[in-house]
Amino acid sequence: MSSVSTGKLSKDDLSKSTLSKNSLSKSSASTSVASTSAISMSGTRAADAAPDCAVAERLHAMDHLRALAMLAGVLFHAALAHSVLMQPFWPTATGAASWTVDALVWLSHLVRMPLFFLVAGFFAAMLLQRRGMGGLMRQRLRRVLLPLLVAWPLVTLASIAAFDWALAHVQASNGVLTALRAAQAGAGADAPPLPLSTGHLWFLYYLLLFAVLLWIGRVLEAGRWLQAVFARGPWVVALGLPLLLAGPFALTSAPHPAPESLLPALWAIGLYGSFFALGVGLYGRLDWLAPLQRAWWPGVIVVLALQAVFVWRLQAGPVERLWPHAAWPTALLEAAIAAWGTLLCLLAGLRWLARPSAALRYLAGSAYTVYLLHLPLLFALQFALMDTGLSGATFFALSVAGTLAGCLLVYELAVRRTALRRWVG
Amino acid sequence: MSHAAPASATAPAALPAVQWDIVRALIVKDWQLFEKPLAAYVLAGIVALGLIGLARPWSFYAGALLLIILLVAVACMSISNALLTERKEQTLAFVMSLPVSPLDFTLAKLGGNAFTFLVPFLVLLAGTVGVTLTTPVPDGFVVFATLVYGHVLLAFSLSLAVAMSVRSEGWNVFVMIATQVLVNPFLMLLGQIASIRDVGRGEAIVWSGEALLILGLQVGLSALAIAFTGWWHGRKAAFE
Repeated sequence: MSSVSTGKLSKDDLSKSTLSKNSLSKSSASTSVASTSAISMSGTRAADAAPDCAVAERLHAMDHLRALAMLAGVLFHAALAHSVLMQPFWPTATGAASWTVDALVWLSHLVRMPLFFLVAGFFAAMLLQRRGMGGLMRQRLRRVLLPLLVAWPLVTLASIAAFDWALAHVQASNGVLTALRAAQAGAGADAPPLPLSTGHLWFLYYLLLFAVLLWIGRVLEAGRWLQAVFARGPWVVALGLPLLLAGPFALTSAPHPAPESLLPALWAIGLYGSFFALGVGLYGRLDWLAPLQRAWWPGVIVVLALQAVFVWRLQAGPVERLWPHAAWPTALLEAAIAAWGTLLCLLAGLRWLARPSAALRYLAGSAYTVYLLHLPLLFALQFALMDTGLSGATFFALSVAGTLAGCLLVYELAVRRTALRRWVG
Repeated sequence: MSHAAPASATAPAALPAVQWDIVRALIVKDWQLFEKPLAAYVLAGIVALGLIGLARPWSFYAGALLLIILLVAVACMSISNALLTERKEQTLAFVMSLPVSPLDFTLAKLGGNAFTFLVPFLVLLAGTVGVTLTTPVPDGFVVFATLVYGHVLLAFSLSLAVAMSVRSEGWNVFVMIATQVLVNPFLMLLGQIASIRDVGRGEAIVWSGEALLILGLQVGLSALAIAFTGWWHGRKAAFE
């Protein structure tokens, strides 16, 4: 994650970004000279502040957004235990499920990873401009590939240990535990082995893939197309984005799964790659989004209304959600929620998260470590809580608090002040 | 840095010292000239793997076909760009005016071609093995697929060796097409060998004696062709 990369943003780096051209374009004749904060995202004149400071605020915003998007993943995975749709599939499903949880969970699912990849694209463009393609690739190998190769087996082994403990000790049952117990008892002896999967670390795999696609786009001068799209203005992009995303959503089920296979999933490339490209194009010209700011509140209402319709469609019948491919109306619905919800989050971040904050700074620093480690720990805690008979809210709160505490402890002891910070800090 | 010897010089007994910085510069030059088509091939490779990942019969067939087309295209394009086009555009004459020995030039051409071919080749090979092991395709198919990749490697090596030695564009095109098209009878041959055909339908990855012999021949002949070409041209004291 690019973002993953952005631990420190010096003033010098920030001032460079004010002068950025579209980083995807190799041509020096690029026409996209970044605006230098003539109008800030809050609509006030930036002339009161130095341009560097204005840009610095925006990069704080992007860094904070990235951290929050990753931490939202912890809440998302914890809440799946209470999702009606996920009761047959989630290993820590409690049976105490509610459609309200589904409404919130699937809204965050449609927004947080698109937002993450948008921010990743933004920072990838920054790295590309600062260090060139070779520097970007080296950074990806150090900050993405290496952590993936190290964390993958560790996370897998930790998850297996949590599952083994659950099968031996947890009395409560759900669809997954029942199936695993049946397999353990020999009933599933003939079942084929599960295919290799990247698990919740799939985002690292796609960050590597998008780095390669960024190189391809740069070599093939795709920046010109991006320029042409941006030249049409933010309203055209915002309104057209759902049409672009409907195809990828129609290629997969609704709600969309995590693309955990080692094979690149075309729908995931289309969906997350579009946001990554949008982030690349936004680097150096966040003010381009300013006209959308006045539609923020109406946009929130529209997205919530669309989400209500989406959840209603999910409730309507099992065919819609289990069929390998979402029906086109559902895909378009998902696309609109993902596109506009992500843009609204971005606008909100630029408006309200642009100032330095010690707490957010700490979260930004720890988010990568927390996200890498959280899932096995979350499983272990939720397995341990399954027999306690706690209410859904307490179960959720305790598991989230315990997971965050455990991951932050690891960050404090093993990452923050050690050499590991260079890779996952 | 030593300058190229006069064209009339004869072959010396020992190989001259290699100027690695020159070799590297020539490889980088070839890489930069080949970067754009290579980027397009990598993009098409990602699309091919994505098609296979859709896990539908038509997409699996289309993705696999696209992968084979890409492999053959990369092999031919790499040689064509780095050697045949260079000759046609008289780039060699310019290179001869530089402080480059025939050995440097030979190593650069072999290394550059190997790099531009082997990078996508190995990525696609890894992708194919990954697809086979992570989808319902029988795991034993890995043996069959590896031998097909071995054929493409051998065809590339022979084409490269010929392109380094034969100036005729016609002969070079013929060798490239002939060696690659021979994949068809090769596929039929593999289908006739029971130990390879039957393994390809099962889940166990078994390397039979026949399979190992074919793979060994493919790798050995490829290495021999490249090594001999390198030695033959590298020992010359002057460009021809």
